[in-house]
Amino acid sequence: MRTICAIPFIALTLVSCGGTKTEAPVAAKPAKPIGATIEIPTPLGLPPVPVPADNPPTAETVALGKKLYFDTKLSADETISCASCHGADKGYTDNQQFSAGVGGKLGGRNAPTVVNAAYNPQQFWDGRAASLEAQAEGPIANPVEMNLPHAEAVKRLNSDPSYKPLFEKAFGPGEITMEKVRMSIASYERTILSGNSPFDRYQFGGDKKALSPAAIRGLALFKNAERTNCVKCHTIDEKFALFTDGKYHNLGVGLDTEGELKDKGRFDQTKAEADKGAFRTPTLRNIALTAPYMHDGSQKTLRAVVDFYVGGGSSNPNLDKEIKQLHLNDAERNDLVAFLESLTGDIPK
Amino acid sequence: MRRLVAVGALFLAACSAPKPAEVTKKEEPPKPVYFKVDAATAGTVSGKILFTGKKPARKKIDVDEDRQCAAMHKDGLYDESVIVNKNGTLANAFIYVKQGLEGKTFEPPTTPVSIDQKGCWFGPRVQGIHTGQPLLVSNSDPVTHNIHPLAQVNRAWNQSQDPGSEPLKRRFMQREVMIKIKCNIHSWMRAWIGAVEHPYFAVTGTDGSFEIKNLPPGEYTVEAWHEQYRTQEMKVTVPPSGKQEATFTFKGE
Repeated sequence: MRTICAIPFIALTLVSCGGTKTEAPVAAKPAKPIGATIEIPTPLGLPPVPVPADNPPTAETVALGKKLYFDTKLSADETISCASCHGADKGYTDNQQFSAGVGGKLGGRNAPTVVNAAYNPQQFWDGRAASLEAQAEGPIANPVEMNLPHAEAVKRLNSDPSYKPLFEKAFGPGEITMEKVRMSIASYERTILSGNSPFDRYQFGGDKKALSPAAIRGLALFKNAERTNCVKCHTIDEKFALFTDGKYHNLGVGLDTEGELKDKGRFDQTKAEADKGAFRTPTLRNIALTAPYMHDGSQKTLRAVVDFYVGGGSSNPNLDKEIKQLHLNDAERNDLVAFLESLTGDIPK
Repeated sequence: MRRLVAVGALFLAACSAPKPAEVTKKEEPPKPVYFKVDAATAGTVSGKILFTGKKPARKKIDVDEDRQCAAMHKDGLYDESVIVNKNGTLANAFIYVKQGLEGKTFEPPTTPVSIDQKGCWFGPRVQGIHTGQPLLVSNSDPVTHNIHPLAQVNRAWNQSQDPGSEPLKRRFMQREVMIKIKCNIHSWMRAWIGAVEHPYFAVTGTDGSFEIKNLPPGEYTVEAWHEQYRTQEMKVTVPPSGKQEATFTFKGE
């Protein structure tokens, strides 16, 4: 009964994706990790990691995902891995405005951090991937990123003797498929968590000395609904803080010289007028490590970002109603920056 | 009945007519017939903006919002809403032809008018622009600015502008005297732009004089505007190839 249900589902998936894929691997039944499910430990300040029922993390899939994440074999000319643009030493970004893909081709949006991506309801700046699994395979085939058709990626892995045993340990006997690749990478990414920052120790750990006086003033401003209301979108909950509402907002970032939106963002997915120029709220954790900022990498420093918000963004028809001019003096702007700098936590390598 | 038939026929025609070749091109609005001034008979209005009364004391501006701006002005920044020249005239008055050009359409220049954000200050503080003429907004500062024309007739807008970014290019399409301009990030920054649908405007400088040339002979209402002392108007007659004097006097408080 179960297989009968699964077949129409796969057929549907193939139909809906057929336009973009060269060759979709046909799996008789969905891959499933065979190892024991592990619990992903969460650092101070983070909630339990959401895990999909059909891809529970195992030691084997996480280890395999890590190997794949760092393997340049997944790019057309074997020069780029996931880590090239999402490197641990740079807060899982690359500190570039736009990332250079295979052949130096530039993407159009700033590489978002992988840190705590496990908590995002959707992935990418425009939310076009509904899961980390769906996200993980995107850049491999993207012509301005790794530029390797999925069929070719799977072929390379199948002919690499180092991978066969790892995939079999993770998923049992059988061919290496794109499905297994993306499941492994997603499981590894679910372990890239960062918390236990000075802010977390202050807010959730009871260490009132963990923050500098400037950062404490900045935190108060950050939460002040009348003065900044930063926390409205960059959320802090009672027991944890993700610093993102997981939603899409238009700040007026990325207007051309005549005031028109250069990138329509979420609108590309939803075709809803209100989503024109809206992008996913990014987390602020480790923000001091992940310059430049905004979906177009247009802001070079945290102070510039604060100034951008002080100015009320840039006007356009869909400017989020929460974005308005702020009245903060120089010291207050610097306090906000001090607070943002206190969000740098432990980063897994 | 007859009307029904006619409508139906029109509808059919609209649907079945072959698409014209230029359908993909954006249809340009018909070019207006621009008025050409006869140089042989054109005249001039010129004059001065005099100031009487008490010259306001220099006011220091609080630049606490941004220390980088403060650092650019070691001796402090002073309010420039009233500048009385050495010869007793006012600078930064905007003078334009308010009435008398009705029915004439003037071609807007393609050369832009510029406003720069430099030293956390707008320059120039007061200027005129022909409706439809491009306005270039540049940021020469190492800090972010956010220019915000508080237009009421034209569409108001604001745009964040990072250091080193390309100049913004905007236009004002309707007459509006004056459009107050502020920076959303630095509250002391102020400028004014007068948008008029013809080229007959001027701004006074360090000698308080102005000259509006190439006017067709006729009767006009000329208005002088000053940020602090508001407006005054005067009726003038420009004789063919002649000169008309127009001197305004603003009184201090």
